[in-house]
Amino acid sequence: MVMSKESVKYSLNNIKKNKARTILTILSIFMGIATIFIFVSYGWGLYDYIDDFTSSSSADKLVIQPKGVGAPGMDTTFKLMDDDIRAIKNTAGIHEVTGVYIAAGEVVQDESKKYVFVMSYDPKLPMIMELSNVEIIEGRSLQGGDSGKVTLGYNYLIKNRIFPKSYSLNSKINVQGRDLRVIGFYESFGNPQDDSNIYVTNDFMSELYPEKNLSYSMIVARANKDDLENVVSNVEKKLRQHRDLDEGKEDFNVESYADLLESFTVVLDIIIGFILLIAFISIIVSAVNTANTMITSVLERFKEIGVLKSIGARNSEIFKIFLFESGFLGFVAGVIGVMVGWGATIFAANVLDNLGYGFLSPHYSWHLFVGCVLFATFTGAISGMIPAWRASKINAVDALRYE
Amino acid sequence: MKTDYLILALKNLKHRGIRSWLTLLGIFIGITAVVSLIGLGAGLQAAVGAQFGISSTQVISVKAGGLSSFGPPGSGAVNKLTIDDADAIDGLSSVETAFPRILSSSKIEFNNIVELGMSMSTPGGKNRKLSYEILDLEVETGRMLKDGDVNKVVLGYNFWKDGNVFRRMIVPGKSVLVQDKKFIVVGTLKKTGSLVFDSMVLMNEEPLRDLMDYGDDVDVIGVKVRSEDVMDRAKEDIEKLMRKRRDVKIGKEDFEVSTPDSMMDTVNSVLGGVQAFIIIIASISILVGALGIVNTMTTSVLERRKEIGIMKAIGAKNSQIFMQFFFESGMLGLMGGIVGSIFGTLVSILGVIGINNFLGAELSPVIDFILIGGALTGSFIIGAVAGIVPAMNAAKQNPVEALRG
Repeated sequence: MVMSKESVKYSLNNIKKNKARTILTILSIFMGIATIFIFVSYGWGLYDYIDDFTSSSSADKLVIQPKGVGAPGMDTTFKLMDDDIRAIKNTAGIHEVTGVYIAAGEVVQDESKKYVFVMSYDPKLPMIMELSNVEIIEGRSLQGGDSGKVTLGYNYLIKNRIFPKSYSLNSKINVQGRDLRVIGFYESFGNPQDDSNIYVTNDFMSELYPEKNLSYSMIVARANKDDLENVVSNVEKKLRQHRDLDEGKEDFNVESYADLLESFTVVLDIIIGFILLIAFISIIVSAVNTANTMITSVLERFKEIGVLKSIGARNSEIFKIFLFESGFLGFVAGVIGVMVGWGATIFAANVLDNLGYGFLSPHYSWHLFVGCVLFATFTGAISGMIPAWRASKINAVDALRYE
Repeated sequence: MKTDYLILALKNLKHRGIRSWLTLLGIFIGITAVVSLIGLGAGLQAAVGAQFGISSTQVISVKAGGLSSFGPPGSGAVNKLTIDDADAIDGLSSVETAFPRILSSSKIEFNNIVELGMSMSTPGGKNRKLSYEILDLEVETGRMLKDGDVNKVVLGYNFWKDGNVFRRMIVPGKSVLVQDKKFIVVGTLKKTGSLVFDSMVLMNEEPLRDLMDYGDDVDVIGVKVRSEDVMDRAKEDIEKLMRKRRDVKIGKEDFEVSTPDSMMDTVNSVLGGVQAFIIIIASISILVGALGIVNTMTTSVLERRKEIGIMKAIGAKNSQIFMQFFFESGMLGLMGGIVGSIFGTLVSILGVIGINNFLGAELSPVIDFILIGGALTGSFIIGAVAGIVPAMNAAKQNPVEALRG
């Protein structure tokens, strides 16, 4: 669509002339766009967060958990023990197997007491940490023989997040009534639970919980990547035999890590879908508003259109002028909407991060910015289509006569 | 005179094109969201409360400290409570009775199908009846447990109803395997509306302790106070006693004492967050709707310039023209409000029916006329306020010029 310079100038002049209505139209489109921008950037951020757990190390991993209620490690009715690990190890297609203990731990600093997850793994097979995809940011990770030593989640580095005072390398932390030495800190997961984790070695875990009959909360296995589905059913079969259970009566779950993540994505899809639906409704309302503005605009300039036609303007030119006007309104509203949405998400992300919910962070990409502006322009143009068409079809003689 | 404005406004509204009505979508959606949400609020609260087993009976519950929100009661405890703790609390003067309870997930087998469920202990003696009352448990078929029942269980509603769980109805007299041990079903429970309790296996405390190898551990201690007036004092007494028993200082308690109010507060704060979020979205929707009304009224004033001119020519005052458009705009908002209220009420009724079906609760849909009245007044005011500027424009028209155009 090519427009002459004069037509563009004429359109822009019209927009300027009727400030009140221009502002109203822009206001209503921009609110819709800002809402969409906020929701899409946060939704995208959540998908990113889940994607973060998918790394090169996650493609060949299986996770075996005992059935139970609540978070891993909370329900210990069904127990996976060392003999189960041996059984899994002897399954065709399995390369390595290791168990993870998770238990509630009591941590004390001066006058305050907190309960957090204490997690242990075998430092020789740190598959669970590889799956979590977080790196040590201070100190080092656990090694074999690290007795009485812990690595901590990110939140222990920050004052007033978990405890009034922060911890540092080589300081002591009181866990389960024992003073343990801090040897490393992990980067943030972005959620208050995981960032409060305390990690110890499997060997030391049984020392830390002497009265507890520890059972594995999770068993992680590295398997043949190309044959993962078969390996899953092989492991199921092997464990069934080992635990003397009939098919369908398992007291454990075997899943590939990818499937485990997939289940989170499905829930997320539903939530995001619902929210976007609401945002789109507000866009429909704004589109109707734009159509209204344009219809008014055509009505107001009935005579003017007649004059334009009588001095030689073509129908197509009139159509373009009005279409450009509504599209331009949409464009301006889109730019403002994106900017306001951007500001709002930056502000919200800051607040959430300070509260320890860093995983709720918006995702920005040029696709999102350009997409939102284009979408707004498009909405404006579409809703201007009918009024523009009407304007172009006006009979010049009647219009000139019109007062 | 006032009714004239009303009639005139309604007449004008009848001639409105579809685009005017479409601008009302915003108001309509916003009002629907607000009305249905608030209408559902009580239902949601009851539903969520039922899930946590929060009852109307005034009981205090005592739990060991730990990661209590990540699993069933007692599961995230670091240092479990014991039977002795329950006995000690029972001895407090402000406490009428206290009883221990244990809960454990367990597998239940029937008809060659295995399911994961929760097993819960019932206390014996004088506390038996109370423990049923607290959770509103009543039998649908058969009988409740009694003292001395060893290999007997009472099953939740879901096991009995239509045989949903095991593809065959379980009736009293049948036997089931709980953790591979045989138990005879003596009764099934009425529907409670809680997914947890409706899938619960009830058995006497001793058999469950033996079955799950629980030793002296306790997951929750239920406490009935002498009277509701001493609730707070009882709470303090229990806290003091437990601090002494577990040798911890104030502020470092490794146990939780919660009153029904504090449990309900937790539920409400979660629900409140969800509601606040939806109300924000609803407000944006209403705001956009209001802008739509401003727009559509401006258009309308322009379209009816000639009409305004005629009215002025035959003696209409500025204030009368203003009132006419002002009313019309308010009516426009009201229309959105009416449709939204009807829709919102329908949604909340459907929601309550859904909650009833899903949970077996017996909530009756509440049509809150004050709420609906408020929503209607609100939508009229929003519409009227949105119409102020266009109505002023209409009133200011020069009759001669308006007649010409």
